Amino acid sequence: MDAVTYPNDKVAAHVHEHCIPLRIGHEDQPLAGQFKVKWTPRLFLLDQNGNSDHDVMGFLPPDELVPFIQLARAKQAFHNDRLDEATAILDEMLIESSASGSAAEAVFLHGVSDFKKNHDPKALKAVYRLLKFDYAQSAWARRAFPYWNL
Amino acid sequence: MSSEIRWENSMEAALARAKQEDKPILLDFYNPG
Repeated sequence: MDAVTYPNDKVAAHVHEHCIPLRIGHEDQPLAGQFKVKWTPRLFLLDQNGNSDHDVMGFLPPDELVPFIQLARAKQAFHNDRLDEATAILDEMLIESSASGSAAEAVFLHGVSDFKKNHDPKALKAVYRLLKFDYAQSAWARRAFPYWNL
Repeated sequence: MSSEIRWENSMEAALARAKQEDKPILLDFYNPG
């Protein structure tokens, strides 16, 4: 990460625009224990209370770290009922990073956010179709299977 | 734009900045070697 990802101009700009960057040694207690860190790199996006529902273990190149952050921010917005904010972040992410490893989950989350805003089942069926055709090998395509006949 | 990330190294300081700047925290556990 130090050799490739963090020195990248786009990564540094994105991190400083959207996050507070915090680095902790993997053996520094009590935090390493609280977050159950057993391997590095291990990244979390925390909310302003220090809680996380999105993390990753292992190296991320520049074109994966930015969408990781975008998806994590969108999940925080979604889980706090800020659906317009979630879909705006996901729109930006899917335009820039539709081939990233975070993209399939972003498509799923976007569709669910649209449905929660508009209560139109077509949003969920569209998610199924997009995942089936563009991300067929992802776990998220299988999770969207129940929406195929809405 | 500098390409250097300016990391905080204290959770307390990061949380205070996160609330002040209304941003989440990117927490990286790393191996300092």
